[in-house]
Amino acid sequence: MSKPDFETFLAESLSNSEAHIAPEKELWQGIEKAISNPAVEQRQSSVWPKLVGIAACSVAALLSVQLVFTRPAHDTSVAMSDFFAEQKQTLLVQYQNQPALTDNWQQQLAELEDAERAIKQALENEPENSALLKMLAQVYQQQLDLINKVHAPKWQTI
Amino acid sequence: MLIDAKEAFAPPSEDALIAQVKMGDQHAYAQLYTLHVKRVYGLCLRLLADKEHAEDATQEVFVQLWHKIASFEGQSQFSTWLHSVTSNIAISYLRKHKNWLQKVVSFEQSGMDEQSTTDCQGLNGLDKLVLRLPERARMVFVLHAIEGYRHEEIATMLGMAVGSSKSQYHRAKQLLKEWYENE
Repeated sequence: MSKPDFETFLAESLSNSEAHIAPEKELWQGIEKAISNPAVEQRQSSVWPKLVGIAACSVAALLSVQLVFTRPAHDTSVAMSDFFAEQKQTLLVQYQNQPALTDNWQQQLAELEDAERAIKQALENEPENSALLKMLAQVYQQQLDLINKVHAPKWQTI
Repeated sequence: MLIDAKEAFAPPSEDALIAQVKMGDQHAYAQLYTLHVKRVYGLCLRLLADKEHAEDATQEVFVQLWHKIASFEGQSQFSTWLHSVTSNIAISYLRKHKNWLQKVVSFEQSGMDEQSTTDCQGLNGLDKLVLRLPERARMVFVLHAIEGYRHEEIATMLGMAVGSSKSQYHRAKQLLKEWYENE
């Protein structure tokens, strides 16, 4: 049986569109915790404006430098790496006295650092490869996300 | 006096639940959550194309809703109001959590990969394709084609020109058509 043409498929899908999708994780407990104890929520979220502030300032500074000196693509990866290293260090210092939620986070971080090294090596041969730059950006972001999540989960779910 | 069992054991109406929630009743709020969580999560997942982000945003919607519900005056349907709140929170969630490196090097966030859409439960054929769309095209498509917002409204919500909203919609349709025909 041949499938319907695209417009028919689209029209049928939209008219039968089932808006409901169940989350795979139980979310209510985190919500209940947040609404029952707004002070904790406020205290936890107060970290974020500071981090966002630091990130915003750094991004603005970096962008200004790029605009002034119109760096070539190769230097963008260097600037990204410098900026990332600074962000990572800030987070590690900030969380050094705080217990982590998982025991193996440093092992996970080491795996991401291995990936970072491999991508950087590949970038040495192709410094303007945008797919590699994107992968490097993602690995950097994953490292920051990991450090943040194991130390400061926004809503603790059980 | 006899009590009608159906009436006595019937779940409270949505209006009754809302009234109870406005008075701070968390048990009623849990029931309201159960009634709407699938719709809220569905919208968050379609807009954000990431299971974990959609779960976070869904929690954020219900935490903010708890504080905002007093401002719901019943002039529109609760589900319509909730959808509008959800869309705005999901958009703002995406802005807040935008990869800082994306801001530096202007990468557009791609959608889910094909395998991940297969792993997501409860998606229909169109949803699986929509989640693969790049960020801007996906958001415009979801808001316009699925949620029924006008391009003028979408332009305001997403901070883009009306023409951009229309061209992103066209781009989304082209990509969906291509993927659908090559399936």
